[in-house]
Amino acid sequence: MTQITRRSAGRLIAGAAAITAIGARVSSVHAADKEVTVGINLPFTGADAESATRIKNGAVLAIDDANAKGEVKGYKINIMLLDDGTATAGQYDPAQAATNARKMASDRSVVAAVGPQMSGSGKAMAPILSQADLAIITPSSTNPDITDPKFAAQYKPGGKAIYFRTVTTDAYQGPNMANYFAETLKAKALFVLDDSGAYGVGIADAFQAQAQKKGIKIIGRDRLDPKAADYSTVMTKIKSLNPDSLYYGGVMQAGVKVVKQSYDILPNIIKAGGDGVYAPELLSGAGFPAAEGWYATNASPHMTEDASVENWMKRYNDKFGMSPDDYAITSYDAALVIIDAIKKVAASGKPVTREAVRDAIQNTSLNTLQGQVKFDENGDLVSKVVSIFQVKRDTRYPADDMVHNFRYIGVAPQT
Amino acid sequence: MSTFDLLLQQTINGLSLGAMYALLALGFTLVYGILELINFSHFNVFMVGSFVALWTLQALGISGQSVILTGLPLVGVLLAAFAVTMVFSGLLGVAIERISLRPLRNVKGPAAMITTIGVSYILFNIILLTVGADSKNFPNPLPTARFQIGGAILELREILIWVVSLVLMLGLYLFVQKSRLGKAMRATAQDPEAARMMGVEVDRVIITAFFLGSALAGAGGLIFGLYYNFTSFIIGFTAGLRAFTAAVLGGIGNVPGAMIGGVLIGLIETMGGQFIATAWTDVIIFSILVLVLVFKPTGLFGTLTPTKS
Repeated sequence: MTQITRRSAGRLIAGAAAITAIGARVSSVHAADKEVTVGINLPFTGADAESATRIKNGAVLAIDDANAKGEVKGYKINIMLLDDGTATAGQYDPAQAATNARKMASDRSVVAAVGPQMSGSGKAMAPILSQADLAIITPSSTNPDITDPKFAAQYKPGGKAIYFRTVTTDAYQGPNMANYFAETLKAKALFVLDDSGAYGVGIADAFQAQAQKKGIKIIGRDRLDPKAADYSTVMTKIKSLNPDSLYYGGVMQAGVKVVKQSYDILPNIIKAGGDGVYAPELLSGAGFPAAEGWYATNASPHMTEDASVENWMKRYNDKFGMSPDDYAITSYDAALVIIDAIKKVAASGKPVTREAVRDAIQNTSLNTLQGQVKFDENGDLVSKVVSIFQVKRDTRYPADDMVHNFRYIGVAPQT
Repeated sequence: MSTFDLLLQQTINGLSLGAMYALLALGFTLVYGILELINFSHFNVFMVGSFVALWTLQALGISGQSVILTGLPLVGVLLAAFAVTMVFSGLLGVAIERISLRPLRNVKGPAAMITTIGVSYILFNIILLTVGADSKNFPNPLPTARFQIGGAILELREILIWVVSLVLMLGLYLFVQKSRLGKAMRATAQDPEAARMMGVEVDRVIITAFFLGSALAGAGGLIFGLYYNFTSFIIGFTAGLRAFTAAVLGGIGNVPGAMIGGVLIGLIETMGGQFIATAWTDVIIFSILVLVLVFKPTGLFGTLTPTKS
């Protein structure tokens, strides 16, 4: 018995060592360089691991580039890679996210961070990072509460904005998609599902409220346990209510099963989700034909098919052997903002502390891949663009190719 | 959909879920009946079983969603997959008993139960670290035949689940009731000391209980994969907890009770989802469990047994 325990403990330690080793793999070090650390916190364990990896790669690419080019004179930027997904949660785990936030906060060499992917983690991390005055830039978490001044006491107890975003929020993502449902898809009778998570509930609420305002009849709303396997009960119930459309607020742990089982029971209605389903897991996990026709949105401009990033796409592909998605780009942009902030602080001759870096991030005005990044006083991105996609299998490319299997439809209408 | 069609459809959904819970519940009940031990490693024997089934199907050349079989090849592949999965899972159960539980057999207190939780996590992490965290697509070699019953739809795979579960449960019931070893199992369940004095090989009985229970969990894992077309390291917990609840509801230690408990939990889950909300599923299931236990502490079909010393 003790032997087995020891052996499995060994495996866990080996796994942890492997993860830290990724963090240690950073290019060209000058002996005299001072070192600063940028945290990256994403759910590498569980249902969203694939999209988390694509996001991580975006930030790693920016930091590796900066180190290789000596972008910040006299400084080498290290990466602290943290996993907020746990086996027991099967996806992102807010408790683990809080632990990771404490770890970053207690290490003075960490001057800023990229992450988290999920709003549920963001809600757990923000208060801790706020107390430590440590800025984090999320490339994908969109729940508006975290940066809403109404909840400042809860998420911003330290006073200053520390939660920045290179995407817009569900205050736009949900409602703008509801506008598209009403105006273009002409939906009349809608059922809304969420996955019980902070993001899923929030975006489903925002979508539902605007849909109702636009005259779409809400014929039902239910909540899924993301760990349960069987959604045929709720799908049967939805079928009996005769909707013409289904909106799912949530991420891929429940999402894969929603897509599969709704295809069996409700094959012919309009189905859509937010950026939680704009993910490779929709293509590879739920698969075809179930995924075909699903609508998804993204809280950022659609860049991966833009001519301006062609070169960047190729570099990403060559380095990581996978195709980036738009949140790999917002993640790259987030890292660019951090590098720029470190650079400005270093150039001013002041010591590169997290407080100074936070202030520099707040005042950012930087041209990135997605265009100009500027933050308002709450940390939200000034530009607010929501992109709409529809899954359409292009058999010339692999099934999990995000660029070619998600057809870009356009920007969601703001009003 | 009329209300009747809807009820019929949710009954079909519930029976399929229930069949799976029942197969799993039997493993809890067999082991508890003999050792008075709640075996939490059972959760993840089920999960490992679904992976063994996946690998067996892949080894037989059935991978992806595109391979559809009919007739004799289908029967052959299914029989082979069930045989390999059940034998492997059965042996896994036996190994768990032999390695981690037998040394603790005479230790009083919760040590053995805690050990089963530990074993459960070891299995869980072995699969997580070797196979990965993303959910795996499970091949579905069954033709997608659908039968219309009024407004409800019955799928071929649901019929398969019911038939297989029924055959396995009937087999187990006959084994426990009619065979010599089954008789020895019942004797051991009643009074292990007396059974031992009458010449029953208790070790063999315990190994049999673990083998049979785990083999049924493996069959449940295969059925899970065929039904939902995916498997993942995490599937053991929700299904395992509901199956355990089914065993308690039916009267833990009672074989027919576990079967009926499983079907009941399946039906409660679908009807609760239909008429209240899916979000309340667990609240409904556990409220009913508490209610039943308040009025009938031994479960629906359990009988009071004298406390073993």
